[in-house]
Amino acid sequence: MHAVGGKILYVDLTTGEMRTEETTPDLVKEYLGGDGLAVKLFTDNMDPSVQPLDASNVLVFAPGLFTGLPVPTGGKCLFLSRSPLTGTIAESVMGGNIGAEFKMAGYDALVITGRSEFPCVLRVWDDVIDIKGGSPYWGMVTRDAQEAIRRDLRVSSVACIGPAGEKLVRYATIDCEDRQCGRAGLGTVMGSKNLKAIAVRGTKDLTIADPEELIRLDLELQNTMENSGAFMDDTKYGTGEFLNWVNEERGVFPTRNWQESVFEDRKEIDPYYWAPRYTLRSKGCFGCTKACGKLFVVQEGKYSGTKLDGIEYETLYSLGGECSNPDIEALARANEVCDLLGIDTISAGVCIGFTMELVERGILSTDDLGMECRFGNPDAVVEMSEMIGRREGFGKLLGEGVMRAASEIGNDVERYAMHVKGMEPPAYDVRGIKGMGLGFMTSPRGACHLRSGVYALNLVGKFWRWDNVDRFAAEGKGEQVKAMEDFMTVYDSLGVCKFSRGFFLIEGYIPFIRAILDEEMSEEEILQVGERVNNLKQLFNYSVGVRREDFYLPRRLTEEPIKDGVAKGAIITEKEMHRMLDDYLDARGWDNDGKPGESKLRELRLA
Amino acid sequence: MVAVLVSYPENCTGCRFCEMICSLYHEGAVNTKKARLRVQKPDIMNDIPLVCTQCITCGDRCCIDSCPEDAISVVDGVVTIDGGLCTACGNCKKACPYGVIWIDKTAHKCDLCGGDPMCVKFCPSGALRFEEADKDSYASLLTAWRDD
Repeated sequence: MHAVGGKILYVDLTTGEMRTEETTPDLVKEYLGGDGLAVKLFTDNMDPSVQPLDASNVLVFAPGLFTGLPVPTGGKCLFLSRSPLTGTIAESVMGGNIGAEFKMAGYDALVITGRSEFPCVLRVWDDVIDIKGGSPYWGMVTRDAQEAIRRDLRVSSVACIGPAGEKLVRYATIDCEDRQCGRAGLGTVMGSKNLKAIAVRGTKDLTIADPEELIRLDLELQNTMENSGAFMDDTKYGTGEFLNWVNEERGVFPTRNWQESVFEDRKEIDPYYWAPRYTLRSKGCFGCTKACGKLFVVQEGKYSGTKLDGIEYETLYSLGGECSNPDIEALARANEVCDLLGIDTISAGVCIGFTMELVERGILSTDDLGMECRFGNPDAVVEMSEMIGRREGFGKLLGEGVMRAASEIGNDVERYAMHVKGMEPPAYDVRGIKGMGLGFMTSPRGACHLRSGVYALNLVGKFWRWDNVDRFAAEGKGEQVKAMEDFMTVYDSLGVCKFSRGFFLIEGYIPFIRAILDEEMSEEEILQVGERVNNLKQLFNYSVGVRREDFYLPRRLTEEPIKDGVAKGAIITEKEMHRMLDDYLDARGWDNDGKPGESKLRELRLA
Repeated sequence: MVAVLVSYPENCTGCRFCEMICSLYHEGAVNTKKARLRVQKPDIMNDIPLVCTQCITCGDRCCIDSCPEDAISVVDGVVTIDGGLCTACGNCKKACPYGVIWIDKTAHKCDLCGGDPMCVKFCPSGALRFEEADKDSYASLLTAWRDD
């Protein structure tokens, strides 16, 4: 079969047993790859009574269907498991080389269960798979571990966890060549399995039905991309290019733990300021000709020596505005600390911002924390990131995530804890983007902008099927979020970057699927894959007890209107929240508690 | 002087599209290990495209002189392997200072796609160019190669 590695690899780390199964054409047609395939394999093999940090939790790694093939921006891979942060099914996507390498080793997915008795490294070298001792690398930061493992085990690509994953910080990342599966604590799951790294070398061919046609399509797409405004902006300034547009023109850049929505001190954190000063050159994910990564290097001053692939938009918010940190060098260093120790910058930043608000309100004292952890203190952001990653001092509690930290601190501080389903929110103040608010609620992995991506069409006002979208209205958002979730799931299943959606809609995939697989799939069929996958996710979440109240937004968003800026006064009332949720559940064909209905499941061939 | 592949590491984004498209164009399938160039990523600071210099840098003409069968020669400015004479002994692969020859039934190396290199066509950042070059153009690359 074209485009695929051909096999699914199962590894039990407790017993050391390994086996493979064939990747069938039906499986590809129904689930494509990546997210779709991972969800299918996870739900087939996971018992809902198994807790996230139990040895029996299932961790799936899957490259997208296009990953490893020359499709511009199509090189993504993902990990998926039951999240230690949210308890729900959760995936996280990255652009490291390991996805392509794994497919060239002959596999489309890796299903890991069990727990190794000792720290270990799983090595996949084409057909030879072995579990190597991982003790020499245990404790190493991500960059060092990858270099050492690559050298010692003679592999081409390594995905690993840092010290935070080993110590079970609940939002630990998995890192591959300075690209991360950041969200939802999938690195924590690896840590709980004593699995430091997955190391891969693949030397097999990935075949394509019509190579000439693919090259023609590639040239065409490349041309479209290079002539688009997004290409210019992203390759020059990275994903934070639109920061000040969100901040000033839309007034929805969360600041000071979401107490404000415009960051007055944004001058330095705006890429238009830092990119020309600190960026040595652009960096791309595997297979991406639209390089939005930036090689950011600090060459002098207190944080001299800092070097990283970034800083991404989300991190400019979480370690910047959220903590009222106006210092780009400290922000860069904090980002590097998070990457090296292996923690999610979004969750870490929100936990730090939350702490700063409690200090501001006098609920915590700086003596309790052992540092001046206050809004506007850049050094505190660096220090606290380090303490979270190393699980030391107050960082130990913050490493549990903001939901658990709030409940531990008590004193009604839950009202300041920003999360949905236990996951800290990304950089969109949804009071001024109501559709995105619903997206936060319905995302299976908790507050997330990427499952639906409706921020873009609401902020711009039009996209794909919609025109004249009113970001302040609650009407019509249910159908919108449902459709966008299915749309975005297709991207994660094909392994294509979501930043491509500006010039690459679903119908754009049809000729690629034809050239690569020799399959004819209609737009409707492709979107149905997305719907099928989202129903499977919800079936799992329902089976572990996720109910209506788990969809609710944090109290601040339904109680406090936006204070200033162009979105001043905007709020999602409780009534609007319920109305949007009801609309969504209707659009999905799920009941009031989110249970997928029988007729919907039959329609999707899931029952 | 004829045009050859020249690599500008300071522009490389490390995307490796060149490796994929090279193998697809020449082998009809994607396999970065069969690409006739490669991108080395020794650390976060560096992404280094290693390309065939058509032996411009080597006074020794490394691969040409390493071949016991005299299967390698310069044809119209392009170092070319005669598949009929090649016995796949692997000497040229070992001799190449950039590690961009690979072997199965015969040795395979960059042929400049007949004068319109695909890797250059797809390189989004000007890290690969098709232009006239001299020995100095490649000086910085010689230390970069390693086997992985």
